[in-house]
Amino acid sequence: MIAFANVSYFEPWWIQIIKGLVIFGVAFAILPLLTIYERKLLGRFQGRYGPNRVGPFGLMQPLAEIIKFATKEPSRPTTSVGYLYRIAPMIAILTAVAALALVPFGDVQHIFGRRVGLYGIDVSIGPLYVFAFAGISFYGVMLGGWASGSKYSFLGAMRGAAQLISYEVSQGLALVGVIITAGTLSLTGIVHAQGGMWYFIPQLAGFLVFMVASFAETNRAPFDLIEADAELVAGYFTEYGGTSFVAYLFAEYMNMMVVSGIAVTMFFGGWLLPFGIHPPGWVDPLVVIAKMMAFVTFFIWVRATLPRLRYDQLMAFGWKVLLPLATLNLLVTAIVVVS
Amino acid sequence: MSAVLFFVAAIGAITGAIGVVTLRNPFYSVLALVGHLICLAALFLLLRAEFVAAAQVVVYAGAVMVLYVFVVAYIGGGEETTGFAARGAGALRVVGPLFALALAVELCIAMLGSALKGISGKGAPYVAGFGSPRQIGQLFLTKYLFPFEVASLLLLVAAVGAVLLARRQRGLEGPDQQLEVMIRAPRPAYTGTMAEAAGSARAAGATEPVGGPGAT
Repeated sequence: MIAFANVSYFEPWWIQIIKGLVIFGVAFAILPLLTIYERKLLGRFQGRYGPNRVGPFGLMQPLAEIIKFATKEPSRPTTSVGYLYRIAPMIAILTAVAALALVPFGDVQHIFGRRVGLYGIDVSIGPLYVFAFAGISFYGVMLGGWASGSKYSFLGAMRGAAQLISYEVSQGLALVGVIITAGTLSLTGIVHAQGGMWYFIPQLAGFLVFMVASFAETNRAPFDLIEADAELVAGYFTEYGGTSFVAYLFAEYMNMMVVSGIAVTMFFGGWLLPFGIHPPGWVDPLVVIAKMMAFVTFFIWVRATLPRLRYDQLMAFGWKVLLPLATLNLLVTAIVVVS
Repeated sequence: MSAVLFFVAAIGAITGAIGVVTLRNPFYSVLALVGHLICLAALFLLLRAEFVAAAQVVVYAGAVMVLYVFVVAYIGGGEETTGFAARGAGALRVVGPLFALALAVELCIAMLGSALKGISGKGAPYVAGFGSPRQIGQLFLTKYLFPFEVASLLLLVAAVGAVLLARRQRGLEGPDQQLEVMIRAPRPAYTGTMAEAAGSARAAGATEPVGGPGAT
């Protein structure tokens, strides 16, 4: 027997499985709520009620929609490539869920005499893990668009390819500033390092670059050219219906939550509260989720406010404004930290 | 558990590599390469080289292969065969296997030269912090500083060269606008903007209709 690397965490394997199930369950319970939240909020922004027919205040709308989508007949265009067409939404949702494992919801707690870290995993490579899965999630978009065998889907996927590559660079560089300041790649370590001051104050430029790039990475307005419905019907998932469509929709919302989680962790002190308030440990996940919801609200707010960019504007902005800004931020941070 | 993962990743890597060279459709060929690279990353993870694994996925699967997929999806036809086979390059069919054979012989000599001691041995022990970004960074800036700087210079030269070649072939700004001016077809007057439709302005480059504005 060859001696392979022995990965030993301080938690037994069954706690890790329970943690995975809990995080997964909570995230999937929040997702339908996010859809109704976004539509209600958009309605308010646009001077209308939003969905208000199903249940009290229309709160049962997601349930009705899930039933509707789940009972639809699965169909695909005759020009599509069968198995790729089925696999692509799975890639999209798998990578989104995998990235969620990194978001720390709290510090290591003692639950029934055992040490349990309130996060999926705490890897030594930190944000690189998220970028690895973001890189793979591109294939969910690309294969979905290509395998649909439709021009609109294909064009949407092509835009997605160029856009994701362009903005991933700026997003990564913006986080390097935080990593240099904290001196660690571990996300829990970064949160601990923010005990004195949350990093959005010293790293304001990095935070702004990260947020703008995140809008592009999650395909949200004003960078939602991948699914620009005025010109591409719905972009890469035009040909999808039923549960496959829901998979893409959930992946989009899940990505939004992951990006919010990363932003909260890297720039807004994770589970820490300002003014020296130290609540008991069980409050930590609630603090993180509340901060994440604030970011999600911001995402929706921007969608309701800003018009969509043109494609060449998007590319020029990504390469000519955002990337130099991120590099400059990195340079300045490095000089300040070293000196 | 790690043995199972090893065999899953190893079989995936080999299947992907075979798929790259045997699949007829270039798009599937590129996808097989993506699968191969991800399996390699899994093998790196089993060796506790977390940073290398992440870099493998971010750089190769997430950036380089994205460009491959992009290009192949744009210009690769559905059932078209890949490059060399389609052109029937005879010399390549002879030289290719020869090079493969030479490489195989070389690898066999290297492996058998070690007398296969690695199979029965336990391998190098694991040192805490091995493969972490901290240790890799330290090695880059102390022991391997010169190769590291040379590699970065090489990449910079390649990037500048790519920009230069792209400029020389098509130009980045000028010619596009000229082309637009050239292909602007003449169109009848009063068919453009609202102002033109109302007769209060004339379209640029429009031909005069036969009877003039007051003919009807």
